Amino acid sequence: MGAAYGQTSAILRGRAFAPLQSGGAAAQMRVSGATVEVLGEDGAILSACDRQVVRFDAPIGTAPRRVTLPDGTLFETADHQGVENAFGETTGSKIHKIERLHPRMVGFLLVGIAAVWVIWRYGLDILAAAALAITPPQVVDAIDTGTLQTVDLAIAEPTNSSAEQRAKANEVFSTLLDALDDDTRAAHDFQLEFRSMPGLGPNAVALPGGTVILTDEFMRLFPSEDIQAGVLAHEIGHVVEQHGLRQVYRSIGIAVFIALLAGDTVPIVEDIILEGNILLSLSFSRRSENEADSFGVDLAHRAGYDPAGLVMFFDWLQDEMGDSSSWLSTHPSSAERLERLQELIDAQ
Amino acid sequence: MAFQTSASQAAPFEFRGRTGEWFGIWITNLLLTIVTIGIYSAWAKVRAKKYFYQNTYVAGRNFDYHATGLQIFIGRLIFVGGLILFSLLSMIPIVGLILIIGLLFLIPMLLVRSIRFNAVMSSWSNVRFGFDGKAGGAFLAFLLYPFLTVFTLYLAWPFADRAQRRFVTNNHRLGKSPFAFDSNVGPFYTAFFAALGWVILMAIIFAVLGGGSIAVMFTDPQALEENPAAAASILFGFYAFIFIAFFPAATIYQAFIRNTIFNNSTLDGKHKFHSDVKPLQLVWIVISNAIVVIFTLGLMLPWAQIRLARYNAEHTQLLPGGSLDEFVGQIEAQAGALGDAYTDLEGVDVGLPI
Repeated sequence: MGAAYGQTSAILRGRAFAPLQSGGAAAQMRVSGATVEVLGEDGAILSACDRQVVRFDAPIGTAPRRVTLPDGTLFETADHQGVENAFGETTGSKIHKIERLHPRMVGFLLVGIAAVWVIWRYGLDILAAAALAITPPQVVDAIDTGTLQTVDLAIAEPTNSSAEQRAKANEVFSTLLDALDDDTRAAHDFQLEFRSMPGLGPNAVALPGGTVILTDEFMRLFPSEDIQAGVLAHEIGHVVEQHGLRQVYRSIGIAVFIALLAGDTVPIVEDIILEGNILLSLSFSRRSENEADSFGVDLAHRAGYDPAGLVMFFDWLQDEMGDSSSWLSTHPSSAERLERLQELIDAQ
Repeated sequence: MAFQTSASQAAPFEFRGRTGEWFGIWITNLLLTIVTIGIYSAWAKVRAKKYFYQNTYVAGRNFDYHATGLQIFIGRLIFVGGLILFSLLSMIPIVGLILIIGLLFLIPMLLVRSIRFNAVMSSWSNVRFGFDGKAGGAFLAFLLYPFLTVFTLYLAWPFADRAQRRFVTNNHRLGKSPFAFDSNVGPFYTAFFAALGWVILMAIIFAVLGGGSIAVMFTDPQALEENPAAAASILFGFYAFIFIAFFPAATIYQAFIRNTIFNNSTLDGKHKFHSDVKPLQLVWIVISNAIVVIFTLGLMLPWAQIRLARYNAEHTQLLPGGSLDEFVGQIEAQAGALGDAYTDLEGVDVGLPI
């Protein structure tokens, strides 16, 4: 037995701190067989214990290794190799070896870039879809109710439209809903609301739960059923594709991921990364608009309306508003949209 | 191996981290964080903190960071869960309003817990730090006072900032030995006006160089609509202005404040500190770091971090007023990492400016 212990005996030089004390002094750690002893310079035993119960801090870089005995005595040594020889691999030894500067880091970089692309392309959508699946419908309904209340409080007036105008829009809306398949229709609480919103102009807004708000200004300017169908079908598209909540989840995902990655950068760089985050969420918003366009054209066509209705609306919008730049906006430019829409319509 | 314990001799801070070594750790952290969709970030944080703490020495003894990856991970998990819940509920307007009022109470609590967690998980020379601040104090220093400065057009900001620094520093301990900081408000105003002066100087330079096109923006907006290139260059100029005016101003402010805090703080009533960071040197380091990091697509980040840590250490000293062997630690109550997750993910920077 004695011989076996002898082979594992080792002496490490470093310094030792008594429990909870800042005063440390040069010391040795003697590992022999199952016993670990910390000796002062004069050879006195400061602390001792079984080798099974010493605690190791994970090694990092070339910073001193720290070994703590159960009584709180801390032994510190620069002798990384000595610790490994005496105790074998400890917690964190593996990651420490991986972290050593080595040409494989080029591979790390490439894998990292590839992984970011995969997360960006697929991961976020999967995460957002998973989050959508577990969102209770009550929450979504509450968001609709609450938002409508706020809209009424802040920017909307009761509708001034005539009964015929409303009946016509309701007719278009329910014809469109009838063209949806049963499951989709049942999954959302579709409702058409009428409001006067001079600030918003001729417009329609979809809330996540299925409430669609149509402005008086819209019905007055666009009595055409085809145009109404085009725009309402686009809004129904937002609801069915769950763009509102999806965007919320995506932007939480991106924000958290970036915060986790960029956590400790250097000043300025952090601010620039956060700015980039906003641009990324805008690009998703433009993608949503395009998806809702495709959905709307298809739905309007199936419901028996002229799919060019949405085009007429954007034609008007382009004449009225002029065109705006693209990467800074939430919506694609009208020209871009018209071109895409024309292709979609031609395909019908 | 003998420690430097002479009472009269200044003990400089010393940073021994090396770029190559840190690069290996950093890129491993990055890779594992990405492929685990962020989960490893908790362990990565511990590796990073340990590296910088263990390589920072005062009087031949280093700091250390003791939190475990699992603690940080659990804190972050709870925080992200709360964040998602909060984002959903705040879309319901009335509830959203109640939540915002709730935040007024929650934020000071999280801040205090974060500072406490980081203090308790940090040590120097085998003695853990501690923090005794309460949420009430944090509410005053971090929410109420800054809010009140709005009514003075932010001119009273230096008072609010001094209150924050007092709150943070005076509630810190090294073991049983308290830190103490006090200063009249003068140096805080020096920092404030130095930063403001920089912004004004840059504004004048920009106005002289690009005044024409900015004037066009107000007098003839139609011209810009017809000329997108001019609009883009104004936008670019706007970002350039932020980069050249506000970021350096913030750095200048930080440099003055850092010096003020170190130069007016004591530990255990007898040990003093000295910091002589030069604001313009720091601006140079911060700006050139940012440019190098951007143009190397982040690859030089480890170099930039080491450079900054080294500069800060080189300009900081401990002036011992007695033996450094007499600090005594105490067993600190366990602290949860939820507050730490909050300050990490929201990018809030509190704690001692080590």
